[in-house]
Amino acid sequence: MFDFLIQGFDVALSPLNLGLAFLGALLGTLFGALPGIGPINGIAILMPLAYTLGLPAESALILLAGVYTGAEYGGRMSSILLNVPGDAGAVMTTLDGHPLAKKGLAGPALGLSAVSSFVGATIAIIGLTLFAPLLAEVAVMFGPAEFFALMVFAFASMSVMMGKDPIKTGIGAVLGVMVAMVGVDSGTGVMRYTFGMAELYDGVDFVVMIIGLFAISEILLMLEHANRKDASDEMPPLGRVMVSLKELLYCKWTMLRSGVIGFIVGVLPGTGASVAGAVTYTTEKRLSDKDNTFGTGDMRGLAAPEAGNNASAAGSFVPMLTLGIPGSGTTAVLLGALMLYNITPGPMLFSERPEVAGGLIASLYIGNIVLLALNLPLAGLFAKVLTIPRWVLVPGIAILAFVGVFQLHSDLMAIYLMLIIGIFGYALRKLGFSLAPVILGYVLGGLMEDNLRRALSISGGDVGILWQSGISIGLWIAAVLLVAVPWLLPKLLSRKSLASA
Amino acid sequence: MRIAADRILGLALIGLAAFAAFNATQFQVTFSYEPVGPKAFPILLSVVLAALSLVLVFRPGENGEWPEKQVVLKLVAVLAVLLVYALLFTRLGFLVTTFLAVFSLSRLFDATWLKALVAGVLMAIGSYYLFTLGLGISLPGGRWLPDFN
Repeated sequence: MFDFLIQGFDVALSPLNLGLAFLGALLGTLFGALPGIGPINGIAILMPLAYTLGLPAESALILLAGVYTGAEYGGRMSSILLNVPGDAGAVMTTLDGHPLAKKGLAGPALGLSAVSSFVGATIAIIGLTLFAPLLAEVAVMFGPAEFFALMVFAFASMSVMMGKDPIKTGIGAVLGVMVAMVGVDSGTGVMRYTFGMAELYDGVDFVVMIIGLFAISEILLMLEHANRKDASDEMPPLGRVMVSLKELLYCKWTMLRSGVIGFIVGVLPGTGASVAGAVTYTTEKRLSDKDNTFGTGDMRGLAAPEAGNNASAAGSFVPMLTLGIPGSGTTAVLLGALMLYNITPGPMLFSERPEVAGGLIASLYIGNIVLLALNLPLAGLFAKVLTIPRWVLVPGIAILAFVGVFQLHSDLMAIYLMLIIGIFGYALRKLGFSLAPVILGYVLGGLMEDNLRRALSISGGDVGILWQSGISIGLWIAAVLLVAVPWLLPKLLSRKSLASA
Repeated sequence: MRIAADRILGLALIGLAAFAAFNATQFQVTFSYEPVGPKAFPILLSVVLAALSLVLVFRPGENGEWPEKQVVLKLVAVLAVLLVYALLFTRLGFLVTTFLAVFSLSRLFDATWLKALVAGVLMAIGSYYLFTLGLGISLPGGRWLPDFN
């Protein structure tokens, strides 16, 4: 049953892949530590290069997955030291991480977060190894109708969990799906939304889309932050960088619990590290905060979201690898990267391309150990990255974005399109949208339409096929419940409290 | 003001939905052997988008803060630099345009003239050799430099 893992370690332990896992972990930690560049930006910037280098699919995936997990480690740096979350997944880390740093415990806080990240990720990778093949076996039974229902479920769970405003999450997802419609329709050869431009016949290219949406809009956002003077750039002294065994044992149950919860959150489609951080923090606060020390620099309040967000990163690979449904915005980008290699992840991936699935999972085990080994002793060095001024950082991002896009499509139209998408992404972010649903919609849009049309052509146009099997009915009910319950619950509760009052 | 932004956005999106739906009805399908052609899905999406946008018009959410005028000017300047970078990228070659882009971006992000100059020179030459030598990527122009490929 675990043949794929043995084969995976074979792949992952080749010198090239081992080097790439190491490089990915290192770069990822740096990207995560740099203010404003989270996992998605890191991957968006590196992906065209990985593709250009002509790496085989599994090697490229190993590199990019290393960046992903590394960035989840790196995001804690600025959270703890500067009270500025390095990425969305590290928001909850600021709550107890920064107070600890202010108490003069910045070093131990960094050490503890590295260890709890390691524990959380390890739990989730073991979960991934155990559950992914099982889920893949179930998913083999999925037909087009079930996949369509699954995607509706993914969008429903995303709009409830992601971002503050479900309506905007929904709109973002629809906009993403609409971008995916551009180009020649594969079924009939009809041009859709190309407006006669030959460059759009193949659709809006994936690399152009994510670099524009994330890297270019980030440059514009950074300009605003640079002009605001609220964030203090004073870094607290690190103190001793090692965390003591006593402190670790104090947090052991927190880490284990949060690892398991984070894994489950990660597996749910559409929810990522930010949700995992929030859920694990509030759970731990409810369970362990007897003296109201959470928020004032409690070690457990730091360990919980750190274990949680790293666990969710590994967990989000489960639906991506087995169903082809990304568990988070970042895995949506990884899914797109796989599609560049003409690999469509899904139930057959484990049997047809075991070197890709197994190699990735094996490299996660390796990368996680590399990350711990890098992050404990080198925390001080990584923290120095925070002091890189924006006037170096921003031109660097711009160069990488231009070269990346130009390299893949030696025409300027792609670069203009990237800039336009960047302005669009900036406007969306200013209007309170989160970009993850947009990218999820963009990646899933084509698949969603394909599955819908395939299902209806099997049934000869009868819509009923969409809710004929037990699996699809279950998914539809789950989707409706997800949307309805958070909306109805407060109303029911308030009616009850009114009645009792 | 904040609420108005969401209302305007909602109306604009409804316009977009209408445009997308109208556009979809114009697709010329000459031959189709599927019950659902290329039109249905975009039209379905337009309906969903319009419905969600309508909610936004009636129940606007909160927006982030909008930048001040001075920052807006800088934003436009950054975009202009990026656009000019793109326009000249193939004509003047990678080295010259990258130097100019890095120099002006650094200036816009508050570097001193000297720092921006140093950053421009170092990053243009450094990234040129990193990409061409290290990664084997061919970049436009710059043929007057020693060729290592």
